[in-house]
Amino acid sequence: MLVSRRTVLKQVLFVSAGLAILPSCFNGKKPPGKKLNNFALSSEETDTLTALADTLIPGGEKPGAIQVKADQYALTLVDDCFTKADREKFLTGLKAFRKDWKKGDVAYLKKMEETAEGDASNFYHTYKNLLIQGYTGSEYYLTKVFPYELVPGRFHGSVLVNKG
Amino acid sequence: MPNINTGDTSHNFDAIVIGSGISGGWAAKEFTEKGLKTLVLERGRDVKHLKDYPTTSLMPWEFPHRGQLTAQQKEDNPVVSKCYAFKEDAVHFFVKDKEHPYVQDQPFDWIRGYQVGGKSLLWARQTQRWSNYDFEGPARDGFAVDWPIRYEDIAPWYSYVEKFAGISGNKDHLPGLPDGEFLPPMELTKVEQYFKDFVGKNYHDRHVIYGRCAHITEPQEIHKQQGRMQCQKRDLCQRGCPFGGYFSSNASTIPWAEKTGNLTLKPDTVVHSIIYDAQKGKATGVRVIDAKTHAATEYFAPVIFVNAAAVNTNIILLNSTSDRFPNGIGNDNGLLGKYFAFHNYRAVITGKYEGLLEYTTDGRRPTSAYIPRFRNLVKQETDFLRGYAAGFYAMRPSFSKPDGFGAQLKDSLFKKDLGPWSVGSHMMGETIPKEKSRLFLDKEKKDEWGIPLVHTDIGYDDNDEKMVKDFFEQMTDMYTKAGFTDLKTRDSKQAPGLDIHEMGGVRMGHDPKTSLLNKWNQMHLVKNVFVTDGACMTSTSTQNPSLTYMALTARAVDYAVKEMKKGTI
Repeated sequence: MLVSRRTVLKQVLFVSAGLAILPSCFNGKKPPGKKLNNFALSSEETDTLTALADTLIPGGEKPGAIQVKADQYALTLVDDCFTKADREKFLTGLKAFRKDWKKGDVAYLKKMEETAEGDASNFYHTYKNLLIQGYTGSEYYLTKVFPYELVPGRFHGSVLVNKG
Repeated sequence: MPNINTGDTSHNFDAIVIGSGISGGWAAKEFTEKGLKTLVLERGRDVKHLKDYPTTSLMPWEFPHRGQLTAQQKEDNPVVSKCYAFKEDAVHFFVKDKEHPYVQDQPFDWIRGYQVGGKSLLWARQTQRWSNYDFEGPARDGFAVDWPIRYEDIAPWYSYVEKFAGISGNKDHLPGLPDGEFLPPMELTKVEQYFKDFVGKNYHDRHVIYGRCAHITEPQEIHKQQGRMQCQKRDLCQRGCPFGGYFSSNASTIPWAEKTGNLTLKPDTVVHSIIYDAQKGKATGVRVIDAKTHAATEYFAPVIFVNAAAVNTNIILLNSTSDRFPNGIGNDNGLLGKYFAFHNYRAVITGKYEGLLEYTTDGRRPTSAYIPRFRNLVKQETDFLRGYAAGFYAMRPSFSKPDGFGAQLKDSLFKKDLGPWSVGSHMMGETIPKEKSRLFLDKEKKDEWGIPLVHTDIGYDDNDEKMVKDFFEQMTDMYTKAGFTDLKTRDSKQAPGLDIHEMGGVRMGHDPKTSLLNKWNQMHLVKNVFVTDGACMTSTSTQNPSLTYMALTARAVDYAVKEMKKGTI
């Protein structure tokens, strides 16, 4: 009895909430396409970034970094959220990285994984982290992999892990 | 109700309320419900419930920076960027530093929300009552002046506002934190419950409780009448809530006042000063500046409530000069702007708990547990005055461990592991109001509306330093005994103001020689001017103050209207 009443109540709430949300959904502006405000990349540099993104989180049966636009997110962050100094460090690192890496060179990436110092390594780890952020924050990841709930409607403070 | 200005022009009202935030909204509701034609003046833009919450239903990936601020926003806003809620989803509800300058004689992080609803859209929604240990504090410990009221004076008004606002809580029967009119509490987590039990067993005078908060956990008829629904645990409150799940002026008091037909709400209207008539011996109205056109005009009413938020209320009163009051309205004793105080939020402790790992949580919770003040509560026991409350949370974060690159990295992102419990507390310390902690107006510099810039000259003292040290010692001791590990303490050294609990400057008291307001929040020297926001506070105690502003406001309106009927105002 209690359960079914709760279910009904929930449905009522969701319908009314849906109505309440509607106007702002229609008004909600989609984020604009990627546009670099604070720096420029050569087409070769862009190619390197794309190739690296595709190598780090490759596509396949499940979408990779390129398919979920994690590479675009990474550039947006470098462009808008990095300080000038951090952006320059990123670009210096990209230039150093490009000199020594061609797509398919797995050995070089292994070396990067084990190095924390130097311009190329700094770029590599920064870009990789941004791609991971972009991937795990993407619509794909937050709807198909670990769905984000805009309206959870519940909080349980004590749930057994194997049931949770 | 006497409708004194019937038949007059649209510049005449029965009551004027300056500000539409958490206390101004209550003044508007109370006056309009009692039949007074009420003008509410708001310096910021209008924000309508539901309609003007542009980010409320956006998904995380719809934010270009996934919630982060841009480097430009941080550079342009060194002060407000420090606020935990100033993020991509709520930037539009905060004042930007450059648009509203002030002068920091000592660092003061002034966090402001200039819009209808003010900071009630953004508050952390914690609503703890004061007890007589708080109201009797200054008299017992010999600082500031005695509060002119006691718990018994305000208790019915706490109940009155709690029922309407919707406060979720547990009846804990603690003398230092009186119970209220509670809707059911949300759940504590397994480890919060463990710590609550542990503290209850091991300390006779310390408690861990569910933090009482302004969330509707079980809507009552009065909430349904407001069009508000049950809190859906989105934990996205700073965006504005489409359910009206938490209390704000926008979701609650302002639309309620509008429904009476007695409310005139004027956004984009900056109050310059209060007009004083020496012959009548009272205030007659307010001088305002249109925020956009800068045109000046005046509005009149027999009673004026100043609810502009603590600092701005001080500015308006200090700027209300006349031959009779050359130093600001009602300020014969020269104390206006002084004895300004705040809450000390500098200290944080975090740790881990490796026990009860078979449990976790499900869903989200927009609140946490609370540790009421235990230091010096019943009697003085340390080398510093007063004490602190603390938040407490224990949550279990889950995360993926990015590993290597290529298919290996991708696979690692498709797994999530539960970490140990993360636990933490932040200090909410009482600070002592001092004469030298003050606000005053610049003699030359003005803002673009012609209002003098305010100087903030407010700082920490030795009492605050001792309290931070004690917080670390006591919390470390409690956490260690409870088996929490990897403890880290951090003194942020943050400036006063970032607590967003600024209070005082227009304090209440018994004596016109040492205070500005009487026990009804009425100016001793100008009987038709009332101040019921943070500026009225005689001392700060440790509790989040908004609930007390709400109760004081409803109580003061009730008094003011009765006095108007009697003809004394």
